[in-house]
Amino acid sequence: MVLGLVKGLGITLKNMTKPRVTYRYPDEPLKMPDRFRGIQYLDPEKCIVCNQCARICPTDCIQLTGKKNPDPEKKGKVLDTFDINFEICILCDLCTEVCPTEAIVMTNNYELAVYSRDELFKDIRWLHENNQNIRSENSTNLIKKPGGKTT
Amino acid sequence: MEVNFENFTPFEEQELKRNVFTTNLEQIKAWARSSSLWPLTFGLACCAIEMMGTGGSHYDLDRFGVIFRASPRQSDVMIVAGTVTKKMGPLLRRLYDQMPEPKWVIAMGSCATAGGPYVKSYSVVKGVDQIVPVDVYIPGCPPNPAALIYGIHKLQEKIRYEAKHGKKVTNG
Repeated sequence: MVLGLVKGLGITLKNMTKPRVTYRYPDEPLKMPDRFRGIQYLDPEKCIVCNQCARICPTDCIQLTGKKNPDPEKKGKVLDTFDINFEICILCDLCTEVCPTEAIVMTNNYELAVYSRDELFKDIRWLHENNQNIRSENSTNLIKKPGGKTT
Repeated sequence: MEVNFENFTPFEEQELKRNVFTTNLEQIKAWARSSSLWPLTFGLACCAIEMMGTGGSHYDLDRFGVIFRASPRQSDVMIVAGTVTKKMGPLLRRLYDQMPEPKWVIAMGSCATAGGPYVKSYSVVKGVDQIVPVDVYIPGCPPNPAALIYGIHKLQEKIRYEAKHGKKVTNG
């Protein structure tokens, strides 16, 4: 029994000298790794209203509508409304995977707690303004390096 | 809070302003309550793993006075972490009723907020706010520990705000 006590205290004492592992999160922002899946960022300019994100979404939390391009010389549609019901979004990343123009991409933002469920309904404007900490491989100022590596 | 300084000399007024601070009982109560939020360990699914991780040494909820309790009688806040099935619903309500006032509820994750990936299921409650009043919703599937800490801070803010201003943060 005494041996066990000494053994246990040995581990405790050994850990006392080690550096602290606790993140200083609320005092200092905690940076997430680049592949972290936070809330989406949307670029309405890039969207071609192909509806693939809405179709692949496993919880059907994306609704989008398009309208005819106001410029009569251009073909195709432009985005009219785009809503993510973030209550049921499970951040599976599928909408960003299928998006052919990378109009919808993931960000690292995770501080999303709210007081009301209504605030979790994210519309086109909110998603466009959510332009911080975008996943670097999707960000527009992508710099290609030789060997396929990007910075 | 307004203090009448009429009968004091300027020196006394200065000293009072520097050394005495006034508050009211509601704010002291809110400060005490928000600084020792003891949550009921109510893990139902994968969010519970994330909640346990938040209690671990890397995120360390203890530094905010958040100490997990295994009994509803000793807890102030219920962190509903995970999918609430219709079978679990009445038990959740009972546990909530057993908690002493004042009490708060945090809905952690998509499942507790609105059903999440099981939103089309026949057996899952579509949002724990159908059973108990929820104060803070944390979206994510599951929310990472930092997001949970953010949610807990949001609840602390809410408690202090409501005591200070005497009105609710939401009108819902």
